[in-house]
Amino acid sequence: MILESIIEAFKLLISFDPEIYSIIFLSLAISILATLTAAVIGTFLGILISISDFKLKRFTKKIVFTLMGIPPVVLGLVVLLLITGPFDGMNLLFTKSAMYIAQTLLVLPIIIGNIIITSEKTQKQILETATTLGASKIDKIFLLIIETKPFIFMSIILGFSRALSEVGAVMLVGGNIKGDTRVMTTYIALNNSMGEYSMSIAMGFILLSIAFLLHTLLARFRGDFYD
Amino acid sequence: MIEIRDLKVKMKSLEFIFEDFRFEKNKVTVISGRNGAGKTTLLRVFASFLDYEGSLKINANVTYNSQEPVIFNRTAYCNIVYPLKVRKLDISLYHDKIIEYAKLLDIEHLLENNALKLSSGEKMKVSIIRSIIFNPDIVLLDEPTTHLDLESINELTQLIKKLKSKITFIIVSHNKSFVDDLKDVEYKVGGKNVLS
Repeated sequence: MILESIIEAFKLLISFDPEIYSIIFLSLAISILATLTAAVIGTFLGILISISDFKLKRFTKKIVFTLMGIPPVVLGLVVLLLITGPFDGMNLLFTKSAMYIAQTLLVLPIIIGNIIITSEKTQKQILETATTLGASKIDKIFLLIIETKPFIFMSIILGFSRALSEVGAVMLVGGNIKGDTRVMTTYIALNNSMGEYSMSIAMGFILLSIAFLLHTLLARFRGDFYD
Repeated sequence: MIEIRDLKVKMKSLEFIFEDFRFEKNKVTVISGRNGAGKTTLLRVFASFLDYEGSLKINANVTYNSQEPVIFNRTAYCNIVYPLKVRKLDISLYHDKIIEYAKLLDIEHLLENNALKLSSGEKMKVSIIRSIIFNPDIVLLDEPTTHLDLESINELTQLIKKLKSKITFIIVSHNKSFVDDLKDVEYKVGGKNVLS
């Protein structure tokens, strides 16, 4: 079965079927865009939360950590209710934009939470030193971003993995429309429900291979990240 | 410059009590006391890192250099100019001074190296130059000789002697010869209560 699937995966890839390639491209494009958006917002918010002292800090952290584990289908449902409710006029239902929004919201707490956890471990001495040298709050945020770069990178990779592998949210808000909003995970889910297990495993194998390739490439930027 | 009165600092189950004292300008004051007596605690209070009870008057610009140097992931030179950058000072005006101090501490050849890859002693030297480069009024040095060899300790002694007319140094160190060579004034700490 596994061997058959690997052969099927190669067949899928060398078939040059435009549908398969558009599915792969859409999966990557939405996951990368959502992760980049969440990375920019999440890095800033994560560092800001970790260096700031405010009244509801502990509560805010609890909310972020809870949202890190939110089931994608629940988040998809929330986005679905929003885009069919207050934002109905924007015609986002079953569009790539809705999928992008859902994935960004899914990845955002993962990046914020991981940055809070890791930067709080390392930040104390860095912040004290920066303070004593005369750094402003903005200087300290930039310094922490630079000094905790490996951890931020790790958080972004975790977020990207979550975005690439999730199925529930994009299925709900994207609708898995053939040739439009179908991505690798929804393709796998569909084939699975139709009993086409070898096709599911084949696409799963491609998904894993892409994830492995991307992580290897990203790790090279980080140097000895996995050493 | 710094005046303390009825100063107490609570740390978990301990309460450090400090005798009233006035740290004078342009003098090297050595804070002495046994391990755990509260020397580092007092420096951290002066650096505004810890809360305290009582009266503490500081009418000067204070910089704290910790026992384990905190080095940023960049070259030694970029580490040293960091306080100049954040204070928006013209770095070029300080270049000669950086070279002079680096020569004095024998790290001139390391200025373009990544500071994280330097030895502990070299990191300490970078960190000390970074603390003094912008001419703060008071520099708090916490065990500055910990990672230094004998020759480096002598170099640091010369640097402090050279600068003490402009900068007030408050030093915590267990290195007797270093302390004896430098101290103008000594302040002993040791009072503490165990809280129930």
